Amino acid sequence: MTDAKETQWDELITHGSVVSKQHLADYFAEDPERFNKMHRQFGPLLYDFSKQRLTDQTLKHLIDLADAHDLQGWIQRLFSGEEVNDSEGRAAMHWALRLPVDAKCQVGDDDITSQVHEQLQHMELIVDKIRAGQWRGATGEVITDVINIGVGGSDLGPLMVTEALNDFTRKTPQGLNVHFASTIDGSQLSQLLRDKKPQSTMFVISSKSFTTIDTLTNASTALQWLQRSFGRRASASILHCHFIGVSASPHKMTEWGIAEENQLGFWGWVGGRYSLWSAIGLPIALKIGVKGFRRLLAGAHDMDEHFKSAPWRDNLPVLMGMIGVWNTNVLDINALSILPYDGRLKQLPLYFEQLEMESNGKSVKRDGQPVTRSTCPIIWGDVGPNAQHAFYQLLHQGTEAVTCDFIVPVRRYDEARHHEAAEELAAQHQLSLANCLAQSRLLALGDAALKDADELPTHMRYRGNQPSSTLLLDELNPYSLGALIALYEHKVFVQSVIWDVNPFDQWGVEMGKKIAMSTLAKIRGEDASLEDTDSSSAGLLRRIEAEWKS
Amino acid sequence: MYIDVYGDTLCALVSAAGLAATGHNVSLHVPQGPAATTLARGGCPYREPGLPEMLAEQTTAGRFKLARVDVPPDEKSTMIWLALSPTDMDQAFQIIKGLPVDGERSWLLVNQSTFPVGSTEALQQALKDLPGGESTQRVAASLPDLLIEGAAVSGFIHAEQWILGCDSDWGKRMVAEALRPFNRRRDNIMIMGPREAEFTKLAVTGMLATRLSFMNDMANLADMLDVDIERVRQGMGKDKRIGESYLYPGCGFGGLSFSQDVMSLASTLQHSGIQAQLLDQVLRINERQKESLFRKLWRYYGTDLRGRKVAIWGVAFKPESARIDNAPALKLIEALWAQDVEVHVHDPRALPALAEWAGPRDDLVLHKDQYAALVDADALMLVTEWSAYMSPDLPHMKGSMKQPLILDGRNIWDPTFMKQNGFDYFGIGRR
Repeated sequence: MTDAKETQWDELITHGSVVSKQHLADYFAEDPERFNKMHRQFGPLLYDFSKQRLTDQTLKHLIDLADAHDLQGWIQRLFSGEEVNDSEGRAAMHWALRLPVDAKCQVGDDDITSQVHEQLQHMELIVDKIRAGQWRGATGEVITDVINIGVGGSDLGPLMVTEALNDFTRKTPQGLNVHFASTIDGSQLSQLLRDKKPQSTMFVISSKSFTTIDTLTNASTALQWLQRSFGRRASASILHCHFIGVSASPHKMTEWGIAEENQLGFWGWVGGRYSLWSAIGLPIALKIGVKGFRRLLAGAHDMDEHFKSAPWRDNLPVLMGMIGVWNTNVLDINALSILPYDGRLKQLPLYFEQLEMESNGKSVKRDGQPVTRSTCPIIWGDVGPNAQHAFYQLLHQGTEAVTCDFIVPVRRYDEARHHEAAEELAAQHQLSLANCLAQSRLLALGDAALKDADELPTHMRYRGNQPSSTLLLDELNPYSLGALIALYEHKVFVQSVIWDVNPFDQWGVEMGKKIAMSTLAKIRGEDASLEDTDSSSAGLLRRIEAEWKS
Repeated sequence: MYIDVYGDTLCALVSAAGLAATGHNVSLHVPQGPAATTLARGGCPYREPGLPEMLAEQTTAGRFKLARVDVPPDEKSTMIWLALSPTDMDQAFQIIKGLPVDGERSWLLVNQSTFPVGSTEALQQALKDLPGGESTQRVAASLPDLLIEGAAVSGFIHAEQWILGCDSDWGKRMVAEALRPFNRRRDNIMIMGPREAEFTKLAVTGMLATRLSFMNDMANLADMLDVDIERVRQGMGKDKRIGESYLYPGCGFGGLSFSQDVMSLASTLQHSGIQAQLLDQVLRINERQKESLFRKLWRYYGTDLRGRKVAIWGVAFKPESARIDNAPALKLIEALWAQDVEVHVHDPRALPALAEWAGPRDDLVLHKDQYAALVDADALMLVTEWSAYMSPDLPHMKGSMKQPLILDGRNIWDPTFMKQNGFDYFGIGRR
């Protein structure tokens, strides 16, 4: 590490030793202007970090640290299509998926914008045909149910966004339903196939490599389900009418049998967990229409531009990323809880778990050396009001320091102004907002938020000083959600620069898949030897074998 | 009596002509449109037996005259008679607003239009809300249109029964007086509340639609079971409890009054929070049935229709009509277009309506000659059973078509005979 970097770390840590002794309640007591100084607005997002345990001086140190790590240079490399994913030798250009059609983006010989928009248009054709009720099954029936088969990035993103934007569902004549099946054991798929009609059901097989075993197993179950209904001779019609493939590997799709005109492509330079902006987002477009999908892209694109151009002090992804670094590396807080106060965002914590932990859950630097500081914290969460009845106890009175991101839209049920139940529902949302603010306040201030706390018994008291950020969305819509997701993507990138890890690979998930294959042979009795495994696995295998033999 | 009838529906014309024929002085207020133009030229917009002659006679006799909708009723008139199209409810309120109320004038409104249940009460309220509503008679009565097309005139003159929904004694007496000439043999006016009368009309159409959808459902099963639905239909029709009408399977029913009647019953119930479960299914089955010929074509050509050419005979929602409202052909054409099929259409009367509906497009060609539509076609779909299609020139057809595939949506041709003539033939529930 260069001296400049070390110097900045030393200064930050020295500064941290003073700040960490302060209680958030004192900061608020000292400075009534704290919120005014410590919140930023970009587009539909208000980012309040005044409940983080830091001072204005901290921000200056963090900005110096970012500069020492050449954050500007890295952003430049990211957005010029350089191979920032060095372990896999490729660029990471998810941002290019949301470029407007008139943007110029040339990387090497490739006109990226036109490639992206060509696929977007192909997707639009398919989406419009399905939504118009003119996509036909093998018997000519209108397709009414689309099942997305994918896992990881090919599942979490589309699933999270379709649920979040449920209120923006555009009606179709046939009443189109979109479903998701991901788990390797077929749990969701078996449930879905039970009450869907083969004649009017189609499958979207989403896999970047088109070799993902989880996805291909589910896909083959789906294919056999159709063949049982239509007969094996109908295979060509079945593939032509009931399967769409989304992948970066066209020849693998062809090999599996996806008809060429039903293939949607994306590129090696799109990471799985960054892929919902590509044709992987097909289920989103099916649900909210292509117009809505373009709004989602526009929100993310505007965040890209903000990230590229705003000064660090006003740059939401930079502030968020650097404050995360501060919490992890200076305040030693190793857990981040994602707490949306809106039931539509139920999947958001799961989505961010993958985005952050698969990106930055690394302990080897880009140069192959082990890291010397902590990297990505443990991230988990749930819909806030429900989590209040689950793990908030630990947040308030446990021994672990945890930082929280509270995420909540200000307006809701606005679109249903003329709906009869709008008033009751709006009142419910107010209750949710009140809970959100109350929890972050109590977490920050502790007893100082209470009257006469000194008189309470110790088990009824609150330590406080748990830092949190609050993200207020004007309202949850395709545009604001696009901006929100892109904000976290870039936050993750900022942190990866400071931690010097490659956020775009995931070597930690590879080996398990391979061992599973050799273990499968043992379970199926194709490989009888148990010596090459450990005694725990051998013991479990013997128990399982006994069951499958009987 | 002086009676002012509003509307350009078949019901409006039959009522106006029938009332004039018994001596009433009738003004028919016709909304602007093709029907108004035909009437103004002295023609009759409907091919209904007896109707053109009756209109001509009554015009000559001076008891039947035409008027615009915005012209107020005759100054001697107390009774207005609405037989508007189901979608023209707003017009009904406009007409009421325009009624002269000077000199404490009483008004009786007889509603024959098929509006949602409860509409007659709403119309009555609108009448009462006009100035002078407290001191005069302001009544709306429901007299549902139960006419049977093809026998509409005789059905009016020799009605088996009238259903009158009216709560006012004055109103009942007035309507009974207007209908007295048609009511001489025995009292055949059945009196009930306005809502009940409206609901009866909707229930009747709902039942007829249910029979058709039931038969279509049976036909689809017959396809699977290799049974000829025509024999089944004849067998069923001989059962006195069932009877022969409304048992013809086909590629779906359309028409403004028919399908909209059904729909308004379904939406009336849905609005009240109760699900009309059976009628909801009836509608769904019918919408699905409209695509039955498409599905046969789709399977015949192995789920790929790109670049094919399909001929359609008949787009009117029924024979003898120039109208295409909710016609099965429209759904078929949309399905074909979506698969990049070029559609060639012949219809004796409905081509102008179709052209207006479709707008200019490359993948639709309209033909005045039914055989010209067949040239190089990959299939012929028979959708409306015009008489001219019943016994066509088969060798000529076969010679023109690229692929002699016949999809008969009305079962007008004999499967065996068609096959003998070298066609691949598929009907609805038979082949």
